[in-house]
Amino acid sequence: MSASGSPLLNVRSLGKTYPNGTKALSDVSFSVDAGEFLVVIGLSGSGKTTLLRCLNRLVDPSYGEIDFAGRRIETLQGAEVRSVRQDMAMIFQQFNLVPRLSALTNVLTGQLAHQPTWKSLLGLHSSTEREAALEFLKLVGIADKARVRCDQLSGGQQQRVAIARALYQKPKLLLADEPVASLDPATSHSVMDYLRKANRELGITVICNLHYLSLVREYATRVIALKEGRLVFEGRPEEIDRAWFQRIYGEEARDVGIQ
Amino acid sequence: MSASSERWPLRKLIFDTLFFAYGVALFADALGAMGVSAFHFTQDDFIQNFSHYATFSLLLTGVMAIVALVANLRGWTTPGDALFASPLRKLELSARPWSRSPWLWQVVIVFTLTIVVSVRVTESSIGDLLDADGLQGAWRLWSGLSQPNFNLLPRALALAAETIFIAFLSTVLAIPAAFFLAFFAAKNLMQGPLALAVYAVLRALLNLSRSIEPLIWALIFTVWVGVGPFAGMLALTVHSIASLIKYYSEIIESVSDGPIDGIRSTGANAIQTVWYAVVPQIVLPYIAMTVYRWDTNVRMATVIGLVGGGGIGTLLIQYQGQALWPEVGCIVLVIAVIVWLMDTASAYVREALK
Ligand SMILES: Nc1ncnc2c1ncn2[C@@H]1O[C@H](COP(=O)(O)OP(=O)(O)OP(=O)(O)O)[C@@H](O)[C@H]1O
Ligand SMILES: [Mg+2]
Repeated sequence: MSASGSPLLNVRSLGKTYPNGTKALSDVSFSVDAGEFLVVIGLSGSGKTTLLRCLNRLVDPSYGEIDFAGRRIETLQGAEVRSVRQDMAMIFQQFNLVPRLSALTNVLTGQLAHQPTWKSLLGLHSSTEREAALEFLKLVGIADKARVRCDQLSGGQQQRVAIARALYQKPKLLLADEPVASLDPATSHSVMDYLRKANRELGITVICNLHYLSLVREYATRVIALKEGRLVFEGRPEEIDRAWFQRIYGEEARDVGIQ
Repeated sequence: MSASSERWPLRKLIFDTLFFAYGVALFADALGAMGVSAFHFTQDDFIQNFSHYATFSLLLTGVMAIVALVANLRGWTTPGDALFASPLRKLELSARPWSRSPWLWQVVIVFTLTIVVSVRVTESSIGDLLDADGLQGAWRLWSGLSQPNFNLLPRALALAAETIFIAFLSTVLAIPAAFFLAFFAAKNLMQGPLALAVYAVLRALLNLSRSIEPLIWALIFTVWVGVGPFAGMLALTVHSIASLIKYYSEIIESVSDGPIDGIRSTGANAIQTVWYAVVPQIVLPYIAMTVYRWDTNVRMATVIGLVGGGGIGTLLIQYQGQALWPEVGCIVLVIAVIVWLMDTASAYVREALK
């Protein structure tokens, strides 16, 4: 447990340079308190995905420090990284479910880190585990699809299964990398509503990359903006006026939502 | 020396040297074939005066190395250019019409010369093909084959069954080894210095064992365990392991990364990630390729039988040796039917699994 008062996540001077020389992140610092819904914005290629992947160590940062839940995590290895990931679930733009497995089995993979390897190889799950997983499918409104293979679900349904899998991990922090970028506007809202529900009702802190400012204004409690790998803005969503918008997205940019 | 910023085009020079040397040698041989006595090369001459030929070849290669170097310095386009040039140069080359590409003409000339020399070396002759005695012999053989002796059918069927079981067991025995090793032969899973070293060694071993034909393996095993179906089965097992690893690892390499990221992000370990994110994507293609391999093994088992690997091939070689054409006809018929059946069945299974 972290001492009360200290933030859930604290990132100091984080940087990532890919082996091909691309500086995807430079000197990024910010912190997130428990219960926040933090949205990360920025142009395509500004480093949003890299930032989230550095946090759960799908990508190894080049320099900087990350504190998460009272623990330094940027240099952890092996089993310790996996225990961090268990507490820091992730959902993806392309959903990243296993297409040939059922929705329920996909949700059950959320607890792999707590299972002995031999048991997971045999695919054994107790009935309590199954019921718990089903509860999360109910929470995102698709319990009736539990037995359906994920490649037969629509994009919106798949993203809801992905949210259920993430929630079944019982995470402290949920990372969402452009969760609605491949969905239509109506479906986008319903998926975002489930993320807000997880945030408000289950008390899960959320960091979410988004493209559309209209969504940012509706869901974010706080916003950070990246530009060419650097943090250029930090504040409340309503503080992003036209001037800030053009600083983040460039002079030429037009936002459909700004009037 | 070329002072350009390009890397010294060593591969291009080596290729051009060999290409030119080969071309000149072919030209000399073609002249000989057309009656110029100074260039009348024969196999016997080559074998008896090998040291002369070797010396001359080395000299020729040396001279052509100089020619290739000059061509490079002068910027003449050669076949080596077309293969190994920098992307920019390739673009420049492809912009020319084909009839104005010197390297293409060089390739065409060498290709034509190769045909001329091949005709000489293979002793191809229309006369032999239409020889009266020969035609009569072929007719005798054909009429024998087309009147199969069905008294042999029971034996042919029994040995055909043997062939199918040889093929089946060798496939099944190869599966576990190939399944396990394929993960280490898949580049997308083998990241990091140690893993890449394992990958490289395994790939090298695989290429080596696949370059040894099953026929050679059969010869090895007939000496080891004696002539018979067991030797044939072992030969096919070794070959099947190597080719199944290749098929399997290619399937693993085509797996999509999304589910792997998804499972890894839950905190799963490496074994769990492979089991949950990779395996479900590969089972069906694996089954399809394995069935295909069984089908291939049936055809190979027939051939291996010819060198003592058991099954219907052994029967075929016995009767062929005694020129008993009606019996051979019966055996060939059984082989054809079985190969056709296996082929159809395996195509059907693969279609169904798509
Ligand atoms: N694996 C990689 N290797 C090399 N460069 C990479 C890699 N992944 C991303 N990059 C580069 O890093 C920079 C940041 O990429 P990133 O994916 O983090 O941006 P993003 O903000 O998520 O963009 P988008 O909105 O398009 O998803 C880009 O210039 C990208 O080309
Ligand atoms: Mg991205």
